[in-house]
Amino acid sequence: MASRLTVSRLVVSSLGVAALMLASGCGSGPRAPAARTSGVPAPAATLAPSPGERLPVREVTLDNGMRFLILPRDGAPTVSFVLQFGIGGVHEREGQTGIAHLLEHMLFKGTTTIGTRDLDAELAYFDRIDSVHDTLLVARASDDTTAIERLSKRIVELEDSARAFVDSNAFDRILTREGAQGLNATTTSEATIYFVELPANRAELWFVLEADRMRDPVFREFYSERSVVLEERRMRVDASPGGTLYERHLAEAFRVHPYGQPVVGHMRDLERISRRDLEHYFSRYYTPDNTVAAIVGDIDPDHMERLARRYFGDIEAGEPPPAVTAVEPPQREERRVEVGWDAQPLLRIGWRVPSQQDDEAVAVTVLSSLLTGGRSSRLHRRLVTEERVATGVFSSVGPGSRFPGLLQIDATPRAPHPPETVEALIYEEVERLAREGPSERELERVRNQVAAGAVRRMTSNLGLAFQLAESTSLEGDWRETFRGAERLRELTREDVRKAAARYLTEQNRTVAVLRREEP
Amino acid sequence: MKKRLPLRAWALATAVAGAILTTVPGAAQTPRERVDAMSFGPVRFEQPTPERYEVEGVTVLLLEDRDLPLVTTMVGFEGGYGLFPRSRYAAATALPALMRYGGVEGMAPDSVDAELETYAIQLSFGSGGGAVSSSMNVLTEHFGRAMALWGRMIAEPAFDPSEVEIWRGRQMESVLRRPDDPGTVAFSEFNALLYGDHPIGWEMAEADLDPGALTRERLDEIHRRIVCRDNLLVGVTGDVSWAEARPVVERFVRRIPECAEPLPEPPVPDVRARPGVYLIHKELDQAVVVLAHPTDLPLADDPEYFAATIGNTILGAGGFSSRIMDKVRTERGYAYSASSLWTTPRRYPGLLGAVTRTQPETAVPAIEVIMETMRGLGDEPPTDEEVKTTVDRIVNGFVFNFENPSQIVSRTMFYLAQDLPEDWLERYLNGVQAVDADAVAGVFDAHLRPDDMTILVVGDTARIGRDALERLGAVTVLPTP
Repeated sequence: MASRLTVSRLVVSSLGVAALMLASGCGSGPRAPAARTSGVPAPAATLAPSPGERLPVREVTLDNGMRFLILPRDGAPTVSFVLQFGIGGVHEREGQTGIAHLLEHMLFKGTTTIGTRDLDAELAYFDRIDSVHDTLLVARASDDTTAIERLSKRIVELEDSARAFVDSNAFDRILTREGAQGLNATTTSEATIYFVELPANRAELWFVLEADRMRDPVFREFYSERSVVLEERRMRVDASPGGTLYERHLAEAFRVHPYGQPVVGHMRDLERISRRDLEHYFSRYYTPDNTVAAIVGDIDPDHMERLARRYFGDIEAGEPPPAVTAVEPPQREERRVEVGWDAQPLLRIGWRVPSQQDDEAVAVTVLSSLLTGGRSSRLHRRLVTEERVATGVFSSVGPGSRFPGLLQIDATPRAPHPPETVEALIYEEVERLAREGPSERELERVRNQVAAGAVRRMTSNLGLAFQLAESTSLEGDWRETFRGAERLRELTREDVRKAAARYLTEQNRTVAVLRREEP
Repeated sequence: MKKRLPLRAWALATAVAGAILTTVPGAAQTPRERVDAMSFGPVRFEQPTPERYEVEGVTVLLLEDRDLPLVTTMVGFEGGYGLFPRSRYAAATALPALMRYGGVEGMAPDSVDAELETYAIQLSFGSGGGAVSSSMNVLTEHFGRAMALWGRMIAEPAFDPSEVEIWRGRQMESVLRRPDDPGTVAFSEFNALLYGDHPIGWEMAEADLDPGALTRERLDEIHRRIVCRDNLLVGVTGDVSWAEARPVVERFVRRIPECAEPLPEPPVPDVRARPGVYLIHKELDQAVVVLAHPTDLPLADDPEYFAATIGNTILGAGGFSSRIMDKVRTERGYAYSASSLWTTPRRYPGLLGAVTRTQPETAVPAIEVIMETMRGLGDEPPTDEEVKTTVDRIVNGFVFNFENPSQIVSRTMFYLAQDLPEDWLERYLNGVQAVDADAVAGVFDAHLRPDDMTILVVGDTARIGRDALERLGAVTVLPTP
């Protein structure tokens, strides 16, 4: 083969470095309408129980309640770690939205021994900085712009002075120089998840560092990091038409339940959260009984279990987080929200549906797949292929899984067709599904997708670790992640039709439309 | 069980009662001391090497992996829009998507989809400016059937007119939507500024998408030029041996004809250095900044290239362990993401610079911090410690290059396609280990010119401040797309 070079737009990919940073799963808005690459999976085959459920996962629960899932696998000598705390956006009270995500950032700042050059000297600054911040909040309340500017500057100066005693980014550097890959974390409505991969012979490093930051974190460089989070919010929401539409849509759909609050937090809240708020939040929620760790890779399970007990065993148990008691009252009529933006139109529709723990959850997942899962799905075929009024249509169930949520559809109208045209066609298709139900062939297609997906999902250690941690944290059993195929087999066409008729109704939906508004 | 103390109380406690620490399991060491005391041996592992075969003159790589009942096949064809005139831009860009969606001779798009679904065949098609690639993943039991269908999609695409029209419509829509995202605007305008009318500077426009640019003849012409054996590399991984794969791969390759004529040489861009400040007004809560100048340091088995790799990581491409990130994000809190970029194409100049996004009011301060960081490399050259951290990171993380068989095969295919030696990864590993702080300082000294940067800012002019921008240099306002 000859030697020509790829003429690629390397510049564009350089922002991909952002992936190295602390990504947040929140507020990312509708899924990017990336080119879908076909892929509709396999004959449901003979899977009972599914291959996933037969994995030799060792479950260890420490006396303090912390759970470990340890899975040895052949392959390169690497190991993937996922640490999931069962707290996220839904546990935030009004006025403190975004605190879980802000804490996620702050846990990369080190501990009493990691990230410091002189802890006492550093801590001596904390009270001074915090009290200036208290005064700043007062100045903000009275709109005293001179004071606001002076005090903001003072915080920066004091943090700069404190920085003389800080070993910035030491936590990251320790892991990175040992070859760690993908060090990152994400915050969702219901969980905060930290993850990294290491060469297998360096596994103990993870235990030392994670246990340390779970026990003795220091929220140094707090106010500069809070500014970083404000920038993250600007990037994902305030400067993004899709992100803004997503946030406004959820706020309209959930007026009582915290699913209506942005996980990244409201700007007004983020600007008020103090270091003390964060300390309180941390000590209340980051407790071992609320925590699951999944370890997957080329490891010895006995060794991992010993390390788990040695490093995490003595952390105080704490109390379980208070239950989320807010219940969204039944919806009686359609809700609509409009967003003006200097951009092409976007459409979002969400129907209230039961939680993922509900018996009907499988039927709802199937509905989502029937509507937009692949090129032969009903909405793709109708909107994109036949009528050509949209360039893409996607759906998902969210924003979380533990509480009643939304079956949400994102559609990108194709000019000159207005969102209303797309919306009307979506309703036609939804009503037809509620009337006639799916064909057996359609249902079989979804079963195949799930069955093949169950095999493919086992290809990556990190992916498996995520699934084990999430199923355990949210559903109490790691096997749950593999049980979808089984439940699907029992599902009938009538079950799916009934779910469509019950949930995908006019009174049960919230519609958000983004329209062009000149600046 | 150790009581969890509030932070400040804990700090006091350590001062008066260090004994508390001894209740921490694993001895009296602090976590910091424990980390410092840890030493790890090299990561030992066997590097799987793909087997190499020839089928009808085509190189086929194979790496068996019996872990799961799945087989993946990948193909790469040299050739993409970057090799043809602008009149072929749309057709060459459309080719991968239309091979996937446009049906095959004697089989409508719907029937293709139905068969893909029935046998759970997962496909991807894609292209850069210089190559077209595709991969296929399927349960082992359907390997033969899947290769036959996929082979037809690649070799005998029907370019169904209805699917061509759908593709065209989607492209027209993305042309309309491009201005909606400030990041896309920034990168596309930056490329246009520096690369002009070279494929790197092209951006799909309405005129490119005239139906006449996407006729069956045009598509066939581009397909014929790219999808032929001399341009082809094949890789197979998964639950299959060469004995099992061979007849299937042979049938696959034989569907693809030999090339009637060689591909044209890619045009060499005349990269224009345009020092100065360029502004595109866009009223948003965040501005996007791209700054860079041309540089000529190609990817090669050359000490200078390896020094540049390490230098770029230290300057700003190494995440939290790099200087730009440390200054712009950690210290100043100006941005969520900030990094350097240093591209190293092999046959023409690349770019050296940085990118970030920040609220408009801090756009200029952020650029100034980046520039100071760059200029500061002279007074505070990269330290031995920084170089060691960066090299250790590559050496210790080397094993991650061998985690996944399809990653190993696709990487080897990439080296072959780029005319790099097959053992390039080994050479790279050796090359970076030979880099020292002097070499990094030297490569910056030779190549980095902060005063020559083209600085492009997309954002709200009033909030950025015209005066502030003028501090950076003469400002040219570009039209808002």
